[in-house]
Amino acid sequence: MNDLLTDKAAPGRGVMKLYLISGLVVVGLLLLAGLAMRASQAGWLPLPADGFYSLLTLHGAGMIVAMMVCAMGAIWFLTRQQVKMSAKLAVAAWALIMVGVVGVLVATLVGRYGSLYTFLYPLPFRGTWPNWSTGVFLIGLVFVNAGWMIWCCQMLAGVLRAHGGYRGALGWDYVWHSKSFAASERHPPPPESFPAFMVGLDGLIAGMAATLLGVALVVRWIDPQVQIDPLWAKNLTYFWAHTVANLIIYMLAGVIYVALPFATRREYHVSKVFVVAWWTSMTLTLTNYFHHLYMDFAQPEILQYVGQLSSYLSALPVTVVTVFGALMLVWRSGMRWTLGALFFYLGMLGWVVGGIGAEIDASVPFNVHLHNTLWVPAHFHTYLLGGCLLFVLGWVFLLLESRAASTTRKSMSWLISILMFGGMLVFLLSFYVSGAYGVPRRYSIEPAPGPVLSQVAAIGAAVMIVGMLLAGIEAWRLWRSRADLQEGAKEVIHG
Amino acid sequence: MDAAEKLLIAFFVLSAFIALVFFIVARSTRLPVQPQAEASRFGYAIRGRWFIFLLLGLLGTFLASLPFFPYMRTASALQPALRVPVEAWQFLFIMPDHFPVNQRIIFEVKTPDVTHGFGIYAPDGQLLAQTQAMPDYVNYLDVTFHTSGRYFVRCLEFCGMGHPIMQKEITVGEAATASGRSSLAALDSNGVVTHE
Ligand code: HEM
Ligand SMILES: [Cu+2]
Repeated sequence: MNDLLTDKAAPGRGVMKLYLISGLVVVGLLLLAGLAMRASQAGWLPLPADGFYSLLTLHGAGMIVAMMVCAMGAIWFLTRQQVKMSAKLAVAAWALIMVGVVGVLVATLVGRYGSLYTFLYPLPFRGTWPNWSTGVFLIGLVFVNAGWMIWCCQMLAGVLRAHGGYRGALGWDYVWHSKSFAASERHPPPPESFPAFMVGLDGLIAGMAATLLGVALVVRWIDPQVQIDPLWAKNLTYFWAHTVANLIIYMLAGVIYVALPFATRREYHVSKVFVVAWWTSMTLTLTNYFHHLYMDFAQPEILQYVGQLSSYLSALPVTVVTVFGALMLVWRSGMRWTLGALFFYLGMLGWVVGGIGAEIDASVPFNVHLHNTLWVPAHFHTYLLGGCLLFVLGWVFLLLESRAASTTRKSMSWLISILMFGGMLVFLLSFYVSGAYGVPRRYSIEPAPGPVLSQVAAIGAAVMIVGMLLAGIEAWRLWRSRADLQEGAKEVIHG
Repeated sequence: MDAAEKLLIAFFVLSAFIALVFFIVARSTRLPVQPQAEASRFGYAIRGRWFIFLLLGLLGTFLASLPFFPYMRTASALQPALRVPVEAWQFLFIMPDHFPVNQRIIFEVKTPDVTHGFGIYAPDGQLLAQTQAMPDYVNYLDVTFHTSGRYFVRCLEFCGMGHPIMQKEITVGEAATASGRSSLAALDSNGVVTHE
């Protein structure tokens, strides 16, 4: 696997590039939307309420979809190394998702649709925005979901074909019948195929829930007589949103399994513990979402206990297996700290720290004081921005670095790191502090101490974005210096 | 130290511990390279203990947290309490604005339009208690105010453009204003608002 990154002819590179580049372009634009919101809350660039909330809708829905697309591209590429999958189908799924993204853009920027990406029923039909924008937004999400489900089917089918059905892909015999498994000289699937399997299966289940809800809401949009149970709708919303957001991280965990062995020149071993850990994640990810409904006292009470226990236990596979295993790879490996390696490493830190914030919030007694405060964006920005986005950037950099004829200058690495991580720290900290003091989330105008902390956050975010811009310039430079391009240039000159 | 500070410190201490581990591992890459088999043996030995420690820690925390869940039991719902209906509308709360101190209150939170939140902020700015207000459902919130003063009720679920201005000031205890007293008097013993 170690030459995968340098292998220009590796199948599926084109599909991956399409997903990664389109995803990152959207992420880049929406970072600016995030900055605009923070500056608005700071009182520096006050947006009118409808402008703020349509931007928040766009930022939330767009970021989730864009990060999802990046992660899909990377894990698809890794799976493609094990089994043939149709590139055409993957491009078709991508195109459906992009149609949906355009719908979301039109609904929010033109239609000022502002019911947020959670579209809690019946708010989408009771707002100040035009009715058409609700329809365009919902139908846009239906398109995204359709592309997602096609892609999940393709993934699941690919993994099952590659590793001998459910039994093989799950590593069932490897765990339960290890002696005969070893005797028959079979091998468990490679580590990255477990997240690929999980996203295929759990992604389809989440997609089905989203389809159900999407159809209900679109029917309600067409015929306002139709009534929906709001608690049912909220359960489905969060089942879908929580699962998809989590799958983004788990897909990228699959990328860690390939990237870190490459960076450390070591091997990632699949063990029984590893396999069982993935079974645990596959299951718990589907039951965690109950923690989004802790403050719905009308929800059947038993589900609240299930939610907390399951949220707690999902920390185990991550910290005991994936992150711990990654630290073991790095330990005394002599790894070179290129930007790619650094992004992966700090991304794991962000994942765990965001997880700590999440576990605190997933404790019902704390949730009473933190639910829907800025603590919530605090923890998920820590693992989406300070985790997932860093994994994606890390992957892009490793790919570029592995083929570049030159390396990043030390001073440049330091400058990028200080701006990016310094800014990120300030930005995230002010979310946490605001949350602890009870400042509500999703307030275009915040009560004290919100505005002051928003000012601090806006400065941090701006600094971070400057760092990211520099990283972008450096990525461009590495790409221009890639070895084959230089050879090509020489050939042109000498040929 | 107030609750917010305690929470932040707990979070920082845990995060700092993780960051320290990451730092030590990162520094180790400067040491002479260790063969992977050796590094793994060392790692697996720690991993087993870390697993047990974390599992017990999580289960222990889970059990310890159970008595603090805010959900009302049937038995406790039957105990005497002042029942106060709350209606959350886009974008205001219809409810009395004065409450007694040290008296158990059960807020019956409803809404006729969209989902809202019902969050009560103490005079020191801390978020004291909350529940959701959801169409077609009633959420019962059990609260006893222990200190008198000015409290704020804020909407804690996005409900439309007026969401951030959806708040109401309430008073607890002696600080009663004339209007506050009358609104309390308007609550009869069954907690039904009688409009005079
Ligand atoms: C420069 C970086 C970023 C800034 C300044 C930023 C800023 C913000 C702000 C101000 C909010 C609203 C907080 C509130 O509720 O008051 C928000 C929400 C959100 N952000 Fe970001 N963000 C950034 C990066 C990201 C990234 C990288 C992701 C995902 C990969 C992301 C995903 C989200 C989501 C899902 C929400 C929730 C939307 C909602 O509440 O409906 N953000 N962000
Ligand atoms: Cu509201």
